[in-house]
Formats: sequence, structure tokens, C-alpha cells
Amino acid sequence: MIFGRNLKLTLLRAAVWAVVCVVVFKILLVHVRVTGISMLPTCQDQSVYWVNRLAYVWQAPQRGDVVAIRFVPADDSISRLGPPHVMLLKRIIGLPGETVAFKNGRVLINGQILDEPYESEDYPCYWNREPVQVGPDQYYVVGDNRSMPWEDHTHGIYPRNRIVGKARL
Amino acid sequence: MKAVYRLVLLVVFVAAGIWLWTILLPGPEKIVRKRLAQVAAEASFNSGENVLALAARSVNLASRFGTNVEININAPEYGRPLEFVGRDEITQAAAGMHMHLSGLKVEFPDVSVTVAPDKQSAVADVAVRLQASGEKDFNVQEVKFTFQKIGGDWLITRVENVRAPS
Repeated sequence: MIFGRNLKLTLLRAAVWAVVCVVVFKILLVHVRVTGISMLPTCQDQSVYWVNRLAYVWQAPQRGDVVAIRFVPADDSISRLGPPHVMLLKRIIGLPGETVAFKNGRVLINGQILDEPYESEDYPCYWNREPVQVGPDQYYVVGDNRSMPWEDHTHGIYPRNRIVGKARL
Repeated sequence: MKAVYRLVLLVVFVAAGIWLWTILLPGPEKIVRKRLAQVAAEASFNSGENVLALAARSVNLASRFGTNVEININAPEYGRPLEFVGRDEITQAAAGMHMHLSGLKVEFPDVSVTVAPDKQSAVADVAVRLQASGEKDFNVQEVKFTFQKIGGDWLITRVENVRAPS
């Protein structure tokens, strides 16, 4: 009775659910565990988030989005279908074609100060960097914790094909 | 029905043939991935391993590299980049690690391989994850391995860090 009145139908239903679960939780939605402090205070060390790999299928990544970035560039192998094991969780601040600079800790986009409500006074930033040009189909990403030294904080320009998806915070 | 049965049998035979072909004659990408897996396994060690086993690991690890291999790895904990040239220096470095660490786990969770058109060289972008025994924290770096086909074998000729693009 556990298997219902029709065993074949029950097995078929179970198989369909298994396939749906694998596709959703292994390919479309990826769970990531944050290791490190570069996204404080938005993302705490050891916290877990879901990354939606379909977020940028129909629309381009937006400024302010927290995205997962492939740590090593993808090749053409079949493993590309599955999510990478190591990713960077960063926030997009620069869009294609823009210039990004840091002046006294403030982000300048095309020379204009960027309003960043997610930045906290508890993590003061004193970075100063000359403007860099973001190329077409590229994005400038950086973590929210900019109290870290510039050289210890992984950030910069990444091509769109390294963006795995949008993190759901 | 007999025709369908024969068709299914044919498909099974063709699939088995292709699978066997890839096992017996792996392409350069597959060989490079296998070499990297061997390097990760041979660079890892446990605290309980005896001296002879560790020495064998060092020799096996060095044999994966070309004789004139150049290694330049950023190591912030040492305050300077680690530079090695040649197999002997790799063997010495491995022996040094065995002396100073109680154990080390080396993993390559993400590997991206690009084989040159002439199929005589390849570049692998690798996420390298290092964790010392008893440590909760681990270190992850993006490292580029350059392989060359030397004497019929794929050997590592260069290892270097990849800086974040900026």
C-alpha cells in the first residue's frame, strides 16, 4: 500500500521528482558557503546562500547585485553544466563601458560618487585608485568590506561568462 | 520487433566502443586532468605516514614535472613568493613540507584545461585548495599549470599564480 495502487505510476512519479530535484538543486540553484570576511557586513563568514543561475538568462547583471563568480575560467568541457566548486561572492559596482575609481574610500563611476547604502561605517574604506575602464561584456566587482588592505581584497574586472548567478540574500 | 532489438544492440555496441576508445586512448585534456589529480594526491600527506612513504611521495611528485620546471607561487604567509627551479628543488621543498607540517591536504576542486592546437602543450587553470592538518582555515588560490608533451609524457613545465583581473 506504501507504493500506491499503481506501482509503475508511483515509480515514474518518484523518478520525475528525482530528476526535478537534481536539476533545480544541482544545476539551477547552487548553495554556497561564505568563507572569509570580504563581504562583511552583508554576508557573514560561514553563512550559506543560494545562487540563482537563471537570474541573468533574460536580463543583464545590475549594479548592486551580489553575484557568484567562477574562480577559474570555464573551459569547453561537459563539466561546465554543473556549477563550479569554488566561487567568489562579490557585488557589482561597475557596468560595461564605465570607468571605476576609488577616492578616499568612495567609489566613483564615470567620475560621479556612487551611493552605496550597503556600506557600513563599521568598515571604513580609505582606498585611492586611478580610474580603470570596464570593457564591453565585463563587470567591476568588489566585496563590501573595504576596510581590508587593497592588495588583500580580491576584486576587479571580470567577464560576464565568469558570473555564475545572482546570490539570494 | 527483431529489427528494434538489433538496433538497440547496435547502439549499445557503438556506445561501448566509444567508451572503450576514450579509456584506452584518452585525449590530451583527459591526460592533463589525470596528471593534476596525481599531483594533488602526491602533494597531500598525513601525519601518520612513515619516512619511506613520504620520500616515495616526493619522488613521484617530482616525476610529474619537467626537468627545467619553474614554479613561482605567491605565499603571503611567508612574506615572499616561493620560487623553485628544477625537479631537485621540488623534491627538497616537498621534504621540507613533510618536516614542518604534520599533514597537508591538497585539492584541485575546479580545473579548466586548454589544449594547444598542435596538441603538444596545454594550460590548466586550477583552483588550488590547501589545508594543513588540524587547521580549520584553508587557503585557496588560482594557479596556472603549463604542460608540455615531452618524450611522450605530459609534464608540468611551469606553475604560477593568477592574479585577480583588475
